[in-house]
Amino acid sequence: MTTPMSDDPQRDPRPVIMPHAYDGIQEYDQSLPNWWLFTLFSSIAFAFLYWLANFVTGTVADDRVALNAELAALEARQLAAVKNLDEATLWKMSRNAKTVADGQAVYASLCFSCHGPTLAGIKGVGFRLNDDLWVHGNTAMAVFGNINEGIVFEGKPTGMASQKALGTERVAAVTAYLLSLQKEGAMRAISRKDEPSQSTP
Amino acid sequence: MKRPGPIRESVTTIGQDGTRPFLQPAIVFGSWWKARRAVAWLLIAFFAALPWIEIEGFPAVFLDVEHRRFHLFGTTLGLGDLWLLFFVITGWGFLIYATTAFLGRIWCGWTCPQTVYLEHVFRVLDRLFEGDHVSRAKLDAQPWSDPSKLLRRGGRMIAYLFFCWAVAHIFLAYFISIPGLYPMITDAPLAHPAAFVAMAVATGALLFNFWWFREQLCLIICPYGRLQSALIDDDSVIVGYDEKRGEPRGKAAPGIPAGDCVDCHRCVQVCPTGIDIRQGLQMECIACTACVDACDDVMTKLKRPTGLVRYASLRELGGGKTRFLRPRTVLYAAMLAVGLVVATVSVLRVQPAGFKLSRAPQTELYAVSAGSVANVFRAKIQNKDEVPRRFFISAESAGTKVAVLNQSAGMVIEPQAEIALPLTVLVDRQDYRGEFNFTLRLRSEDGKISLLQKAHFIGPDPRTLQK
Repeated sequence: MTTPMSDDPQRDPRPVIMPHAYDGIQEYDQSLPNWWLFTLFSSIAFAFLYWLANFVTGTVADDRVALNAELAALEARQLAAVKNLDEATLWKMSRNAKTVADGQAVYASLCFSCHGPTLAGIKGVGFRLNDDLWVHGNTAMAVFGNINEGIVFEGKPTGMASQKALGTERVAAVTAYLLSLQKEGAMRAISRKDEPSQSTP
Repeated sequence: MKRPGPIRESVTTIGQDGTRPFLQPAIVFGSWWKARRAVAWLLIAFFAALPWIEIEGFPAVFLDVEHRRFHLFGTTLGLGDLWLLFFVITGWGFLIYATTAFLGRIWCGWTCPQTVYLEHVFRVLDRLFEGDHVSRAKLDAQPWSDPSKLLRRGGRMIAYLFFCWAVAHIFLAYFISIPGLYPMITDAPLAHPAAFVAMAVATGALLFNFWWFREQLCLIICPYGRLQSALIDDDSVIVGYDEKRGEPRGKAAPGIPAGDCVDCHRCVQVCPTGIDIRQGLQMECIACTACVDACDDVMTKLKRPTGLVRYASLRELGGGKTRFLRPRTVLYAAMLAVGLVVATVSVLRVQPAGFKLSRAPQTELYAVSAGSVANVFRAKIQNKDEVPRRFFISAESAGTKVAVLNQSAGMVIEPQAEIALPLTVLVDRQDYRGEFNFTLRLRSEDGKISLLQKAHFIGPDPRTLQK
């Protein structure tokens, strides 16, 4: 590309070419715009203030500390919830409409794929849950434990995995939902082969 | 002190000591300027009108980030359709590149928001409050103790603030819609702190840009201008000075021949980036045609033909003829055609529903019972439409007979809602011949929507099931 260069060179001094050359490339000695330098110096100032606030004065909480504190609080809440759980509490929860509704929502999003939308059970997949017959323990705590820990039968899991990841509150809510369909003291134990939803029609 | 004229080695608006000299360019209301103003007003009107135009119940453009839904001219896209953005971004880039090969930096001079607002809103306010370039330069030199400077510059800044504030609001309306924006305007700022801060920051940034930063954005921040040397070739049409006709510049004298350029410096006075176009194509040139209008004006007065500075390719300015048909333009056209076809097909295939499939979390991979083998999936179904719809899910397989449990009644999904649904897929034990691939089909009741998802059925070795 050719360019005309016919301006009077004496009128305005060209910038000075720096003495060094790298790979034959030379550079002019030009100033950076001050606003550009301002962004550089402000970022240095910011870095200093950031360091001060995060690592010296501790004005801004360390993310790791904050995270660990949050996790510890969560664990404490869960432990407290499990520790306080007993038959009476679970039955009490089963009479709380809000808890039952929460539990039903969890059921409808997860449990129903194996136990059926009407709790009638699915043959070959999940037991019936709306009758008074219980294979893996006929107490409220047993139901809670089965959901929380999963079911191990004859030394191997038989299909239902631990739902602990839901968190104690939601596992308790699902338990409360199931208990809300039962009568306290009327849950009956039954053997695996007699469970009606699994028998061959 | 008289400011030195533009040189190619340095940027006029960056001082030797790093200060920022402000330009007060003159204006020539020539035919190019009038054409550019018409385009600019059209673009501003378009930008301001889009949020007000309602198409199928939503603004023509409503990027509803809060609900992760994007309404574009009557089509609603969800986050799942975000991949279509690929076509927008590559298409935009490609269009600019292809246009540059033909017409140089026409984007900068005619359509870039920086130029459109700076030249046709903010410089208009400059002239309105502070007069022409001569009186503006005088005002620059006056001390602040002069009340007329305070009054005129203050008035200009208030007007600036108003326009920046208006543009920021229109910009915000693209993301929260006019009905969403209105209560935010009438309520106290603290009622919607996030929106208020966004508006205030946008207003401040616009004000800083159009008052102080101006051409620095084009010269230093914008990458497009820096790509000019790669995007432009000798046949691209640029704003150029006809050196052959113009030189040698200045007055003719006996024994000294002269070209058509009278060295009046009018082209330098009007340049918004402070270059001398007669020094050839430069990175700073935003191809705004101000120098074309300026030179044509002078040539007309001198009764010489116009076009000493004009739209022309480097080849044409060198005495040749511009070739529009060249390998790169042919290639660009071919690629543009391919891109347009693929983009059109993709957009037409967007369905008003979404269907995604994954294995259900926290369940066994499969369950085996006396009668059947089961796999549990989690389906995410989204109704992107504005009416509730009933959907059915069925399983199809070429080999094994496969069924979806409890899905005969289907499910109704509310408009713009998404549900997560566990799906139990069953195979009878006697039909089971090992793992296989199958397809799940989501179908709307009216049959208008049909979406497929491939899935894999996991199960035990069939021999272990034989007794």
